[in-house]
Amino acid sequence: MKKIIIAIVVFSGLFFASSCENELDLNSQTDIETGQYWKSESDAQAGVNSIYAMFYKDGLWARWMYFRLDLTSDEGFSNSPWTELADWTRFNYINYNFWEGNAVTWRDTYKAVFRCNQVLAYVPNIAFQNEEDKKKILAQAKFFRALHYYYAAILWENIPLVLEPSTPADLPQQRNVTEVWAQIEKDLNEAYTDLPADWTGDNTGRPDKGAAKAFLAKVYMQQHKWPEAKTALEYLITGPGAKYSLVSNYRDNFTDVNENNNESVFEIQFGDQRKGGTGEDPNAAVSSNRGQFFAPRGIGWSDGQARYWLVDAFKQEKNKDGNLDTRLRYTLYYPALEADFEDKTYGRNWEWGNNEAWFRKGSRDYYRNNEDYYSQVNYRLIRYADILLRYAEVLNETGNTAGAYQYVDLVRARVNMNTLAVSHPEIGNDHDKFLERLKTERVLELAGESVRWEDLKRWGDLDSQASVDKISLRDPDFKNFTVGKNQRLPIPQVDVDNNPNLDQHPEY
Amino acid sequence: MKTKFTQILKQRYYLLFFFSLLVQQTYAQQIAIKGKVTSATGEAIPFANVIIKNTSNGAVTDFDGSFSITAKANDILVFSSQGYKSKEAAINNQTSINIALAEDALALNEVVLVGYGSQQKKDLTGAISLVKADEIQKRQITTVADGLQGLVTGVKVRGGGKPGQEANIEIRGLKNLQNANPLYVIDGLVTSANRDFNPNDIESIQVLKDASAAAIYGSRAANGVIIITTKKGKKGPLKVEVSAKTSFTTMPTYSLTGTEEFAKLNNQAYDNAKLDSGGNTIYNRQNLNMAVNTDWQKEVFKTGMIKDYNASVSGGGDNSTFFMSANYFGNEGTVISTDFDRISFRVNSSGSKGIFSIGENLAISNSKTDEMSGNPIIDVYRLTPTIPVYDASNPGGYGYGKQGVADTFGTNPLAIADFADTKNENFRIRGNIWAEIKFASWLKYRFNFGYESSFDSYKFLRKVGNWSLNQPPDQSYTDQNKGRSETKLFENTLTFKKEFGKHDLTILVGQTFQKDIYNQIYGTKRNLPINSATGQYYDVLNQGDSPVVGGYINEAALASYLGRLEYNYDNRYLFNAVIRRDGSSKFSKGNQWGNFPSLSAGWRISNESFFKSEFIKDLKLRASYGELGSGNIKEYESKSFINNFGQIVLGDTQNLYPSATQVKLSNAELRWEKLKQTNFGLDVAVLNNDLRFTADYFIARTEDVLFGFPILLTTGNDGGNPISNAATVENKGIELELAYSKKINDFSFNASLNFTKVNNKLVALGNGQNENIVGNTMTRAGNAVGMWYVLQTDGLFQSQEEVQNYKNAAGKVIMPNAVPGDIRFKDVNGDGEINNKDKDIVGSPWPEFEMGFNAGAEYKGFDFSMNWIASHGATVYDGFRSVVDRFDDNSNYRTGIQPWTPENPNTDFPRITKGSTLNSRGDSDRFLESGDFIRLKYIGFGYNLPDSVLKNSGITRARLTLSAQNVITITKYKGLDPEFTNSNIFERGVDNGAFPNLQTYSFGVEFSF
Repeated sequence: MKKIIIAIVVFSGLFFASSCENELDLNSQTDIETGQYWKSESDAQAGVNSIYAMFYKDGLWARWMYFRLDLTSDEGFSNSPWTELADWTRFNYINYNFWEGNAVTWRDTYKAVFRCNQVLAYVPNIAFQNEEDKKKILAQAKFFRALHYYYAAILWENIPLVLEPSTPADLPQQRNVTEVWAQIEKDLNEAYTDLPADWTGDNTGRPDKGAAKAFLAKVYMQQHKWPEAKTALEYLITGPGAKYSLVSNYRDNFTDVNENNNESVFEIQFGDQRKGGTGEDPNAAVSSNRGQFFAPRGIGWSDGQARYWLVDAFKQEKNKDGNLDTRLRYTLYYPALEADFEDKTYGRNWEWGNNEAWFRKGSRDYYRNNEDYYSQVNYRLIRYADILLRYAEVLNETGNTAGAYQYVDLVRARVNMNTLAVSHPEIGNDHDKFLERLKTERVLELAGESVRWEDLKRWGDLDSQASVDKISLRDPDFKNFTVGKNQRLPIPQVDVDNNPNLDQHPEY
Repeated sequence: MKTKFTQILKQRYYLLFFFSLLVQQTYAQQIAIKGKVTSATGEAIPFANVIIKNTSNGAVTDFDGSFSITAKANDILVFSSQGYKSKEAAINNQTSINIALAEDALALNEVVLVGYGSQQKKDLTGAISLVKADEIQKRQITTVADGLQGLVTGVKVRGGGKPGQEANIEIRGLKNLQNANPLYVIDGLVTSANRDFNPNDIESIQVLKDASAAAIYGSRAANGVIIITTKKGKKGPLKVEVSAKTSFTTMPTYSLTGTEEFAKLNNQAYDNAKLDSGGNTIYNRQNLNMAVNTDWQKEVFKTGMIKDYNASVSGGGDNSTFFMSANYFGNEGTVISTDFDRISFRVNSSGSKGIFSIGENLAISNSKTDEMSGNPIIDVYRLTPTIPVYDASNPGGYGYGKQGVADTFGTNPLAIADFADTKNENFRIRGNIWAEIKFASWLKYRFNFGYESSFDSYKFLRKVGNWSLNQPPDQSYTDQNKGRSETKLFENTLTFKKEFGKHDLTILVGQTFQKDIYNQIYGTKRNLPINSATGQYYDVLNQGDSPVVGGYINEAALASYLGRLEYNYDNRYLFNAVIRRDGSSKFSKGNQWGNFPSLSAGWRISNESFFKSEFIKDLKLRASYGELGSGNIKEYESKSFINNFGQIVLGDTQNLYPSATQVKLSNAELRWEKLKQTNFGLDVAVLNNDLRFTADYFIARTEDVLFGFPILLTTGNDGGNPISNAATVENKGIELELAYSKKINDFSFNASLNFTKVNNKLVALGNGQNENIVGNTMTRAGNAVGMWYVLQTDGLFQSQEEVQNYKNAAGKVIMPNAVPGDIRFKDVNGDGEINNKDKDIVGSPWPEFEMGFNAGAEYKGFDFSMNWIASHGATVYDGFRSVVDRFDDNSNYRTGIQPWTPENPNTDFPRITKGSTLNSRGDSDRFLESGDFIRLKYIGFGYNLPDSVLKNSGITRARLTLSAQNVITITKYKGLDPEFTNSNIFERGVDNGAFPNLQTYSFGVEFSF
């Protein structure tokens, strides 16, 4: 019996002595917990840098944004054998949750916003040696929050505004597009105040005051707030931020040989150093996939191509020397490219349709015969030529058509085109004729640079059946276009279903 | 000789003490009886019970089967032991009684392991199934789970024939939304019975199905528990067993067109598209290469081969036993460039000294897998027969799609097998060491230390070369990782077991602690040079450029306290109570601990004095209720972290700069998922126990199910949905088993039939959500998980008139763009359009019931057995047909299809066209099929060479076996195999290139020395 008592004592000892409560508090030895972060200047710096990394995600400027802006517009279309992918560039929206066509761009927009909101919520509590550095970081976050909401407003219009770091149970309230514009203006004005006039050296590529003003101008113009837009643009053209000029070689805007040049107002910085995917993996890429997706059949995925009317548009007018507009050469691959300019297509003879054309801007045929997922060519999101043409548009809208000519002419002169007055004397000071011509000028200068869709919306060309019918002569995809509906995308249904504060657009 | 013998003597001492108490009440003449209990073949049976009939007095045989007992001269002794039929013998004044017991594996007095102890099967109050090892081992299997298919009620197994593929197993339905695999306990070590484990080492398997049975394992037991014991040595001379089995495996195949039939259909699809589009030249016929006629299945599939060699040595003396085994398992796959190899060793030994006994089980294995690249099961039908296998003009030299000639993005499976090679290797040590102190016959302390460690290595090599149309050029690179897992388990248990007259009481208390650690380092290098001597890439991480390195450590701990009370009154009333308290490191502080109680009771009516039936030998009712927890989530789900993997490009020199932020959201307040299960059971045995029937009815309700349902995209969350305690899932089911066995002279026969019906229902989705759509499935409160949610087809339009007349109530033409031969879809909501709002729940991917039929017979040296399985009521999505019947995207086609044409209107196959997705859309019921099947899972013959032949050869047993698996399948399913699995719980019924079960033909020899 003694033995038994001993046994019970020993056992109880083992039982209670080996209390394991503390053994259950295990922290990751691998990753930094959020509570330990946002403490130092370097945390703040890496934190704001993470917003830039959103440009490398496939929902945004690594890939699918070009489908939304370039291919949906009348400049481009998709002949992809992946029918659903193509359907989302021609207003055939069946499944509103289609990831590549809609949901991923929506999600990545808010993923970027989440990053901005983290910086804006946590960085103010970090002590900085120099308070100016903190202000610059916060200003960058505001700039990017505005940038991503800008494109979201272009695509979906009435969207929820998330302005605080996200939590899993969030149910953000949908806002009318006018409230969205107001928030973007507020962020950009605040960003403008604290951003530097210039970044240099290692910081080249960050947004400066000029970039903030340029985006402000875009936001105002979409709302037809012409005087405000004029003021914003003047900062870049005649004001304290007038540091820009047009590069002499038009093609320098589309290759990696002269990046962040004097024409660049805001440029997405791409590289090819990392060969991972577009996710959050250890080797996440820093590249653009556009080339791989837009390269011709047999070279790339050929999921997006240019409408042939662009070729005709370029050929309407010869330059001062009686030759073809060189912008045609660097904008498109088309059947007569070799005959006209002695350029092959990625080293190949023309092997595609007689009425086919492919986008050339951003392609790397100047040193290789194919593309891949790792294009390092920076994307000039806003360049000075765009600013000049916008200024001309704003002047025309504010009654100063005569004053607008010189800015169009600056853009034309770079590529050796005659002045507008010489080439198109019929315009005179007619507002409508000038705008109509300006629409063509913007296509010739900016085709394939993701501005056409917002242009069409701004000009009201998507608001009437008559103008849509006109567009559909150039781009038959617009036969599917329903006025009052397809000017914006349906909101991903999964968010509508799970958020009582978010309604699907009534027309969808 | 201070041995276990003294221990037995001691036991005897206590028994004698009991006796002496009883003796005082009796006055009949007592005599001492000695004897020996052996098996029919003369082997001693240790630990057999010798009970005086109608008393609880008795003795236990020692190692050599000897016993001694004191009883009245006119008493009757009852001899029993696990695995043998009990036998009675009248004493009739004999002082020496030797008894041979007949084997009876299905007898009711089998001992069943219940976790930290054992019970006799007749005393069970929970739902526990036993599987005999040889039922599993006779099949050619890779993992234990494969072997359970059709043998156990309530257990659904779905596997496949890929080398090294691990089967998916569900016990009593889908109880949560995470990995539904049960907990495996091998020799007391909580682990997984993955492909590293040698099924030949199994001695017995018990499946704990209801909450009361599994409760002792608390958390982690919610999906049921499979307890595996491995073979042990027995006292006696050295026993050597050798077996070799060789199997050939073959793939089922699709019936696909050759070039001639393909071209006819492909041209028709382009012609129709051109006609519809008003002559659009992009629908010009392809310039098909009619000179090529590739049978991709022939190129990719081949006869596989499995070699399974096993040798074991076992034996034991008075104080110790041992068992050693070695196994080689090699599986050359039925798909090119797939292979699985396993070498494993095991040593189990035990010994005793006095009140101490000690033992260990140790298994070492090394397995290598050459994994399948891409999915050839899909590739063989996505590629057209007009594509040559090799094409020198392509980078790498393999043929694939070509613009205008063979326009498909299908992957050449030979190219991807060549250019993308994945190899896995795992070295695993798994074992435990235990010590027991028996302070008294009724009090036992046991300490168990379990240890498992695996060294995992993964290597992926990408060679330069392309496998599909328009593929971007990729550099060569290698991606490798080395990982190590380590599990330590400490268990202290104290067992009190005593009989007080008619009261039999067992109390167990214990404490356990388990710690799991996994760490990994990984690296990638690109642009590997080629070794000019061998022509192979330098695929060690030393060469190449663009290095990426990283690593991580995951840790988890689980602390538990447990207690169990078993009470048996007079073999009539059985009662069982379990409490387990678990603490897990995976939950946040304050939510770490959970209590999981259970109660069960049984009533053996047949032992009641009022119950007098010669016909019904045994009748027992059981009932139980229990709560189980589950914390089956990753280590740090309740925490949120900073992701600093990203970098950005900036600056005049375009350099990289660091980026870090929170990417994934988390819920800090995670708590235990709780399963509440009620079980009612009935056990009946009639005809002298020859016919046995077991029935169970259960209701299992899981609350606070841990799952990462999609959260709003506007949160910007990425990297997986944060886990939350969300849904409530309910499973109700019936399990029936009827078994019969009979022996008539030299002929013995057994048959059993089992039936399982489980109804799954999602009670609530939680988080304020109403439904969750994944692919073509809808998970909605009130229905089963993952119901089919698609458009409904309603025949074909035969004329333009029919198209125009197809209107809704308001007179709107519903499908104005359709043409004759197109599918008519139902406008379910009546809005005059076909869109997502017309989708409806049309079927369930879950079977209404599953059945198994097992039969066997033996005559002299011959034996025969077979297993049939059947599944009824599931609707499945035929991914194969959804590709080859679509025609808007090029692929190969099924032979003999008859598409609608004006000349051939009497068909259910719609018009084929390259230019429209109307008929091809995958979200309709067009591709849903019945998943019913009946399958001969196993059939086998064995022959034991007669003793007369073996005499003087030194061989004690020689056996030849011939068997076949999956040879007969009765089904209407048009895909490869209706017995498939999809790892996505919401898409269980989607057959998207699932690797099929293989027809397997095996020949085996077994020898014992």
